[in-house]
Amino acid sequence: MSAVNIRNVSKAFNEGKSNQVDALRDVSLDVKQGEFVSLIGPSGCGKSTLLRLIANLLEPTSGEVSVNGKSAVQARLDQDYGMAFQQAGLFDWRTVRKNIELPLELKGWEKADRRARADEMLQLVKLPEFGDHYPWQLSGGMQQRIAIARALAAHPPLLLMDEPVGALDEMTREYMQGELLRICAATGTTVVFVTHSIPEAVYLSNRVVVMSPRPGRITKVVDVALGGERSEDTRNRTAFFEAITAVREGLRGMHAAHVGLGNDDR
Amino acid sequence: MSKVGSSLGATFGKVVPAAVFGALFLGFWEWAVRFFELKPYFLTAPSAISEQFVNNFSLIRAAATVSGTNALIGLVAGTTLGVAMSFVLSRFKFLNQIITPLAVALNAVPIFVLVAVLNNMYSITSEVPRRIMVALVVYFIVLVNVARGLTQVSSTHVELMRSYAASDVAILRKVRIPNAVPFLFVSLKIAAPAAVITAFVSEYFGGSQNGLGSRISSNIANSKNAAGWAYVVGACLLGLLFYSFSVVMESLNRKGRAK
Repeated sequence: MSAVNIRNVSKAFNEGKSNQVDALRDVSLDVKQGEFVSLIGPSGCGKSTLLRLIANLLEPTSGEVSVNGKSAVQARLDQDYGMAFQQAGLFDWRTVRKNIELPLELKGWEKADRRARADEMLQLVKLPEFGDHYPWQLSGGMQQRIAIARALAAHPPLLLMDEPVGALDEMTREYMQGELLRICAATGTTVVFVTHSIPEAVYLSNRVVVMSPRPGRITKVVDVALGGERSEDTRNRTAFFEAITAVREGLRGMHAAHVGLGNDDR
Repeated sequence: MSKVGSSLGATFGKVVPAAVFGALFLGFWEWAVRFFELKPYFLTAPSAISEQFVNNFSLIRAAATVSGTNALIGLVAGTTLGVAMSFVLSRFKFLNQIITPLAVALNAVPIFVLVAVLNNMYSITSEVPRRIMVALVVYFIVLVNVARGLTQVSSTHVELMRSYAASDVAILRKVRIPNAVPFLFVSLKIAAPAAVITAFVSEYFGGSQNGLGSRISSNIANSKNAAGWAYVVGACLLGLLFYSFSVVMESLNRKGRAK
């Protein structure tokens, strides 16, 4: 069973009106259990839209999305996935621990169980001593780690991430990439990851899905031959650079026509 | 200890210049009245005002109790109604679109003159029109701010809650209400002084001559300027009391969030 299955999905905004936008046209993609797949492309290529269709935060205009063999709606209702955004989106009025507990509260967990799980998640993201802090007392990178801990608190089999490290500085970003791989390996979570960065996509992923805008579609899928174990040395390997080149060529195929014309990333 | 000492020092450093300036201002006032031999009906000396304040203290306190009670009842009623209505508005978008611009506009006009109309609806000695007037003024201030707090929530938070399949009630309880709490306290900081001012001004439009507003106008009308000024001092103190209360409430709320 695939973790995510997308069949001939199209999504149009303002359908039938003069300002109709074809955010996605006839997209198909299959993500296997335990796989790390990145979606990359210029603004307006529909990568964030695709992620929101998987999350059932948007409904496709046509086509079908299934998650863990269920409809996307059912998967959302069952909280089969966790989600992290570019903004950490922590609640200022809750402590770090209470932030992590939020999805468990909504699932109706007992207080003691929630607390135990939150502490376990704090260990996982290596911030065990920050449970009683408030989010604004933490750095941007720490806040994102808490957001990831919250997304994984209910142990969902799937993690959906929309540029979760995009707002961080380069050094914190590389550290977070390593942490993300470690956490996913420890939990066996499948990940669909939206990014603007080619090295980031290649470093993290088993497969990189290259998308292009107007209408949003998949133009190329690059298999990254780096194996499961990745470390800082991975960034120096020939296969790493080959994959980067392959993704760059995929993006360049549409370069002339689209760069500089990008509109909002929907 | 040193931290406590330095924060006390900082408070002291803020208070001293203001206190010195105030004392100098009163001194200059007293000197000007004596030096230019200003008539009491033109400008009364601070010494005469303070003498009147002490002599009439029990009367001033009684009048302050009347005005203060009106302001307090109106403040509580207006806040309660404003919060309740803001929930209704945030639930029904179309109502929000109709009522919010109206409420914003009403906040900018002196609606307290409506008390003249309200006075006709009740007996001449009734305090109800004044309380209704205070409640109305407070209501619109609280409504506009709290409705904003309930609706202006981060889109990331809303998407996150939808990804948890959270119900509208859960989103209200876990996102919208906590988001609106600081807005409520900010609105109280505006509404509390406005409540006191409205209570005073309401007394200028007839009714019992028992509050600070009516005592000020009747003393001035009888050329008892120093006594009038003494009631003005009482009015200032009552206004400060209400404002300080709202500031303390807000800082307690902020401390509760930032332990």
